[in-house]
Amino acid sequence: MCVGVPMQITEINYPSGVAEAKGVKREIGLQLMPEDTLQIGDHVIVHVGFAIEKIDRELADEIWDTLDEVLQMMDEEEKGA
Amino acid sequence: MNKTQDIIKAIHSLVPPDRNLKIMNVCGSHEHTISFSGMRSLMPENLELIPGPGCPVCVCPESDIIHAIQLSKKEEVVLVTYGDMVRVPSKKGSIRTDGINFRIITSPSEAIRIAESEPDRTIVFFSIGFETTTAPTAAILETGIPDNLFILSSHRLTPTIMEVLVKDREIGIDGFVCPGHVSAIVGSNAWNVFSEKYNIPTVVAGFEADNLLLGIMEILLQVKEGEFRTTNVYSGVVRPEGNEQARKLLDKYFKVSDVNWRGIGHIPASGLELREAFSDRDARKLFKLEEIREEKIPGCICGNVVLGKAYPADCRLFKKSCSPKSPQGPCMVSGEGSCNIWYKTYK
Repeated sequence: MCVGVPMQITEINYPSGVAEAKGVKREIGLQLMPEDTLQIGDHVIVHVGFAIEKIDRELADEIWDTLDEVLQMMDEEEKGA
Repeated sequence: MNKTQDIIKAIHSLVPPDRNLKIMNVCGSHEHTISFSGMRSLMPENLELIPGPGCPVCVCPESDIIHAIQLSKKEEVVLVTYGDMVRVPSKKGSIRTDGINFRIITSPSEAIRIAESEPDRTIVFFSIGFETTTAPTAAILETGIPDNLFILSSHRLTPTIMEVLVKDREIGIDGFVCPGHVSAIVGSNAWNVFSEKYNIPTVVAGFEADNLLLGIMEILLQVKEGEFRTTNVYSGVVRPEGNEQARKLLDKYFKVSDVNWRGIGHIPASGLELREAFSDRDARKLFKLEEIREEKIPGCICGNVVLGKAYPADCRLFKKSCSPKSPQGPCMVSGEGSCNIWYKTYK
C-alpha cells in the first residue's frame, strides 16, 4: 500500500496527469507538486496514485531494478507456497 | 571487491566489539529489503536489525475496522479502502469476510469516481496510513470531493510513534533508519529530534540494499565517533524540508489528535483527524462513531512486534495457525507487515 513506484509523466492536465511505467499508463494526481515544477518527461515517485517527488532518470531505473528483484522473489515465494 | 562487500566489511570494522546494538527500521519496504536480501545474516553477531512500526494496516485500531465493517452493512453506504485493509482481522471479522458493501481502491481518486458514479449512495473512504497516504487524501479534498463522499480518517504520524519508542528503555534503540518515502513528505529535518535531543544516530535511506547498507554504516560511524546527526543517504528523493506543498495541504485539512494504535494503546498527538472546517466530510461525525474497546487476539504478539520488542518468529502462532492465507493478527496481512515478510523469508 505504501510502496512508491517511479513513473514518467506523459501528459499534464494539472491537477491531474498521466504517467507511465513498464508500458503501463495510469492517471495520476499532481496536486502534491507545484504546477510550475512539472514537465512532460519528468520522473516522479507515485504513491497511491499521486506524485510525491521528482527524481532523476538514473534513480528511477535503480529503484525499478530493486522493485523488479523484489517482485521476482515474491513471485517465486508465491509459487513455492 | 565490489561496493556491497566494501560496505559490509566497513560495517564489521565499525561495530564496537564490547556492546550490542539495535538499529530499527520504520518502514515495511526496508524490512522487505532486509529480509529478502538476507541482510541480517551478513551483519556482525552483536548488531540487530529490528523492524518497527512501518506497516500502516498493522497499527490501525480494531475499533476503526469494526466501524468500517458496520458501515459497509448499511444499505445506503459503500465503504472504499485500500486492498490490504480489507483483510485485517478484528473480533468482528474483517471487511472482506464480514463487510457487505465495500470496494477496494488503489488511489483516493477512485473514491471520487465511485462517488460520482453512485450519487444516491453514501461513499465512505476508510483512509488509513502514514504521511505518504495522508497527503493524497488531502489532495482530493483540495481539488474538491462530491457531496456524497465522506472520510473515515485513521491516519498516523510516524515521527510521534518513533519518539514513543525512543523513550521505551526496554527496546533500547541505538539507531534509526527512517522511512524513505515518508521522509519525502516530512523532510529529513523532521528526524533531527532523534539525533539532537536523544543522541540517536539517524539516517534516511532508500530501499535498494546497498543504500540501506550505506545507512547502517553511517549509523555505526556516528556511534564510533560519538557524534550524532541525521544523515540523508536518499537525497535523490528526500529533501531536508520535504515536500512543502504536500505538508501545507496536510496541515490545511488535518489536525493532530490523540489516537489509539493497535497493540500499542493510546498515544497523545499521534494521529490526524479532519479539521473542524471540514467536519461535514468526516464520517466519524456523520455516523456518530464512538471508540470500541480493543480486545487482544489470544496468543498474538503483533503489538510487541510493531514496537520492536519481539521478532515474528517469537510468536507461538507464527507459521502455525497464523499465515498470510489465514492471518490471526494484523502483522501477517500486508506485504509490509513484519510477520508477513518473515513468513516468506524466515527459515
